[in-house]
Amino acid sequence: MSGSRWLTLLIGMVAVALVGVGVGLGLIVATVTPEPPPRRAAARIAPTPALSGAIAARLGLAPGELRTLGFDVLPAVIMPPDNPLSDVKVELGRLLFFEPRMSANSAISCATCHQPRLGWGDGVDLSFGYPNAPHWRNTQTIINSVYHPKLFWGGESLSLETQAKSAWTGALAQNLDPDIAEERLRQIPEYVRLFKEAFGADAPSFGDALRAVAAFEATIVSRNVPFDRYLDGDAGALSESALRGMQLFVGKANCATCHSGPLFTDESFHNLGVQDSPKFQTEPLRQVALRYQHRARGVAEEVYRAASGDLGLFYTTKQDADRGKFRTPTLREVSETGPYMHNGVFQTLDEVMRFYDRGGGDDPNKSPLLRPLGLSEDELADLVAFLEALTGDPIIVEAPDLPPYEALP
Amino acid sequence: MLKIATVFGGILLVALGALPFVAASQRAPNANGSASGQFSPSRVQPFETKAGLGRTLFFDARLSGDGATSCASCHLPDKAWTDGVPLSAGYTSTLYFRNTPTLLNASKMPVLDWDGRFSGNDMASLVRDHLTEAHFMNIDGRLLIERLRQVPSYEEGFKAMYGSEVSFGKVLDALAQFVGTLESRANQYLRFRAGETAALSAQATAGLELFEGKAGCSSCHSGELLSDGMLHATGVPANPAIFSEPARHITFRRFFKQFGVGEYVSLRQDPGLMALTHEAADRGKFRTPSLLETARTAPYMHNGVFGSLDEVVRFYDGGGGDSPQKDSRLRPLNLIADEIAALVAFLESLAGSDPPFEKPEIPAYALGELGAN
Repeated sequence: MSGSRWLTLLIGMVAVALVGVGVGLGLIVATVTPEPPPRRAAARIAPTPALSGAIAARLGLAPGELRTLGFDVLPAVIMPPDNPLSDVKVELGRLLFFEPRMSANSAISCATCHQPRLGWGDGVDLSFGYPNAPHWRNTQTIINSVYHPKLFWGGESLSLETQAKSAWTGALAQNLDPDIAEERLRQIPEYVRLFKEAFGADAPSFGDALRAVAAFEATIVSRNVPFDRYLDGDAGALSESALRGMQLFVGKANCATCHSGPLFTDESFHNLGVQDSPKFQTEPLRQVALRYQHRARGVAEEVYRAASGDLGLFYTTKQDADRGKFRTPTLREVSETGPYMHNGVFQTLDEVMRFYDRGGGDDPNKSPLLRPLGLSEDELADLVAFLEALTGDPIIVEAPDLPPYEALP
Repeated sequence: MLKIATVFGGILLVALGALPFVAASQRAPNANGSASGQFSPSRVQPFETKAGLGRTLFFDARLSGDGATSCASCHLPDKAWTDGVPLSAGYTSTLYFRNTPTLLNASKMPVLDWDGRFSGNDMASLVRDHLTEAHFMNIDGRLLIERLRQVPSYEEGFKAMYGSEVSFGKVLDALAQFVGTLESRANQYLRFRAGETAALSAQATAGLELFEGKAGCSSCHSGELLSDGMLHATGVPANPAIFSEPARHITFRRFFKQFGVGEYVSLRQDPGLMALTHEAADRGKFRTPSLLETARTAPYMHNGVFGSLDEVVRFYDGGGGDSPQKDSRLRPLNLIADEIAALVAFLESLAGSDPPFEKPEIPAYALGELGAN
């Protein structure tokens, strides 16, 4: 990258950060204070030698330099004006998140694919979907999802509330009819009570259910992240390897070009040339899902006829330039959210690093930002060490006991 | 009556023509395959008629959202195309609140479904409703098409029968064509009508006289199908299971909510036709079912509250139930026990019997060629 482009990027990042702070101050209508972090998992983060701030900064970047580049700790959560957080709403949302009766067959909850112990994903390449209707993309983590302006791999949803609607009603997800949902909730007195308390509503509604589950998801944010502790002045929070990885991340490996800001994402869409899922070649029902998505998203007939893989952002924009572009995911908690990429074709971060080191995959529409990097084995390992330092304490929410149906008087 | 017998004979031939063709040893895996794609590539023999294609679709659970429910889940061939229970099961975890009617002769009925919102001369619309309704098969039509396109036997079958690839409308048509083949075969009553006076027992003959006379049954159960094709309130008591089983009450409320019945939350009786017309006078009106095959289609009434024909006849003997909208023709009949037994004997003579129905083999999914959809 030339010096002038680097400068432009820097200015852009600072501007984005300033705008972000300004928007944040202007729009905060409710904030959430995360609960005290649970006991730290000893096994996950290797002991780090105590480095002085000066040495750490010489290996990596000083906190001030990182902030100048746009990196920062996560800001306070901002909720939409029509969905301020409250304790009872979050509690209701927690129940609904684990509620299998929010699926057509009463067997699949949000937590079926977003499992707290699997980084709030499902640990498999392609989502389970619905019985006999398997999904075609990788499950994304719930952690920090509240911060993203667009959700899903193709940016199809603009809020947690609309994402929940897609998941609850989608034929390849929970396949639920909203009126069935409302009447099921009405048949559970404890939910009637909670909806009344949370929303002042006489009866549960699908719209309020969306708000409640979004409120719960907004509380699932990173806690006690080594990288954040480093930013806050704990020079010993990162290992030497992670510090070297940090240098590579913003420098030679070019990761920060797209993985920028407090969330390590430009919130944009890029074509990396990731290969199609092999399951499109081996599983009839994944082929069904692939064609169904083309049909359901309303592409031209010739695009449907030629469908052989996931076209990403194209389904939304119908612009050929957007073929194969997918949303830049956050890298926070990334060590817990494999397999990787929109279709889970990479099992480990090491595989992902080697993919980028090769300059990405093979696609006529591939981003020009991707070039072979010439990284050494040590450098690849340092990058992984840095990525691992973006993961905080485990966020475990236990599946609650769910209130029963009761016959109505 | 001769005409009916001819029609039935023709149907028999059609049905025989569509009988299954594949040896049991070649059976395909269950339709409830997993996403892992472990399907054998076996194919069924080519379809020869649209009805034959619909016949296989009728038994294919992949026509439901979760792949667990087929048309035949509630319309069982060995139960005269009903399910033999008071209230239908519906979609997984979504219990329905009305009784499953038989499909025998359904295509000839002017009104279908208990509230009469469909007609036998537009069976495809009824099929569409049942495929897509959340409480029946709950399938997204676009997903249905793609599932069927993944089955080579269906791809080829639709091309051969319809001249082009699978579409939702063609699926509806094929199923409607199959349902159209389900008609009554000869029974004692029809043979009696055709002039074979010995076909009815003396008791059943006495029952027929009561049916057309003192008991007044034929004022509504009239014509060749023994139905006037109308809807009436008879005051059938509510089935408490609809309200004591949460999953049923949920389906019940959601149904009437979608029909715009304002009181759907507090309803404790099925409003019947009123949900369609929003006229108070239509509250509790349900269609007059055909009595052909009735002895094989217990339990009875729109909500299955009566388990036997004896109970039904005693209900009418009592002048029906309590309802402000009750049909004025329903009055206590003062039948004696022998008369009730004679009526039941007559009703039993209306049922024929079907040869054993061999279920079709369900063709398997196969991998397609990507990019050549």
